[in-house]
Amino acid sequence: MHIALITVLAAAEETAKAGKSIGLGVGGGLGAVGAGVGIGLIFGKAIEAITRQPEMRDEITQLQWLGFALTEATFFYGLVAGLLAAFIV
Amino acid sequence: MNATETGGLPPRAAPEEGRLPAPAPAADGKGSIKRKLLLVLGVYLAGLIALIAIYGFKGTRNEAFKPQNEFKLENWVNLGIFSINKAVLYLILAAALTAGTMTYIARRMQQRPNKVQAAVEALFRLMHDNITASAMDERMAAKWFPFIGTLFLFILFSNLVGYIPLPTNTENEINVLGLQIPSFSLYAATANLSVPLVLALTVFVSYTVEGIRAKGPIGYLKGLVPGGVEGGMAIPIFFLEVLSNLMRILSLTIRLFANILAGHLIILFMAGALAVILGSAWLGWFTLPFGIILFAFEVGLVAALQAFIFATLTAIYLGGAVARDH
Repeated sequence: MHIALITVLAAAEETAKAGKSIGLGVGGGLGAVGAGVGIGLIFGKAIEAITRQPEMRDEITQLQWLGFALTEATFFYGLVAGLLAAFIV
Repeated sequence: MNATETGGLPPRAAPEEGRLPAPAPAADGKGSIKRKLLLVLGVYLAGLIALIAIYGFKGTRNEAFKPQNEFKLENWVNLGIFSINKAVLYLILAAALTAGTMTYIARRMQQRPNKVQAAVEALFRLMHDNITASAMDERMAAKWFPFIGTLFLFILFSNLVGYIPLPTNTENEINVLGLQIPSFSLYAATANLSVPLVLALTVFVSYTVEGIRAKGPIGYLKGLVPGGVEGGMAIPIFFLEVLSNLMRILSLTIRLFANILAGHLIILFMAGALAVILGSAWLGWFTLPFGIILFAFEVGLVAALQAFIFATLTAIYLGGAVARDH
């Protein structure tokens, strides 16, 4: 009886652990997917723009870094949510 | 060109150079660089194989080491909420560096700039022309440039100081000649949630106050609704805009905090924590080059980029708060 109860409790704990790991994986992994697509788009467009108008290079580069950082931040929102799920909740 | 490239090689290459019989000095630059790269790769692979051969492929898990303790704040001087811990030390260091270096260079300004002065002048131009003046009119720029410039430099120094290993980890001490000194660790004030939060709150309060002073309380609230939206639609849009204004605090905070924290975490894991946790020697050797590359990436790009972004967004918010039409 007791052993059965312990097994059930242990299984529940394992499930909770698995859920937390899934949370971290989804938060980090899917966040990286989205931000990766976004960063790729930004740099691709920046290269296109610079090849079309090389004289605007400085302005485009500045905007490119701004866009890069804003996009990259969305990855960290996902990562922070994942870390919260894994270690705090 | 040649010298800088060889200087940029990972430091592990240095001892090998001394051990080898000196390569023929007549060899052209390209060939010798290629040979050196091959040598580094060879040493890397040989080390990997040797470590696997000596210590085996499977390691034993180490439960004693807790990586989160690297970010734990231990009170050194207990003063309630004003306790001094390592984050406070890093804050003071960054503030002292910001104030100290800038006043020192400003005092020694010369007609013919030396290298340091030229770099600081370039930085000044970046802060003044690109960040501040492009987001607001001249009078506003003159008024708010000190704030934005200080913010930029403070975050920049705070991030950069964070990548210098300092003996601040009092949790684990090492014994050097009978002396207990704290072990060296990487930490940055900006890797702690509260510091970016306070900076973001300062920014929020200053642009709100500036907006209210420019347009009056009612005018400021009306100005939140973008021009062209009229009638019943204005009410939900207004609440959305208020919400997005409050979200700015969150996004400014998390962007800076998470970028620096994630940078520190990944350097920590690549430069040894992973090997220590999993207890396998070859893994540490395997991840070390990635640690060095990521370290260079963080120091060279992320530290400055995050400071730039924070200052740019501050300028944009300040400029947007006083702008006549949204």
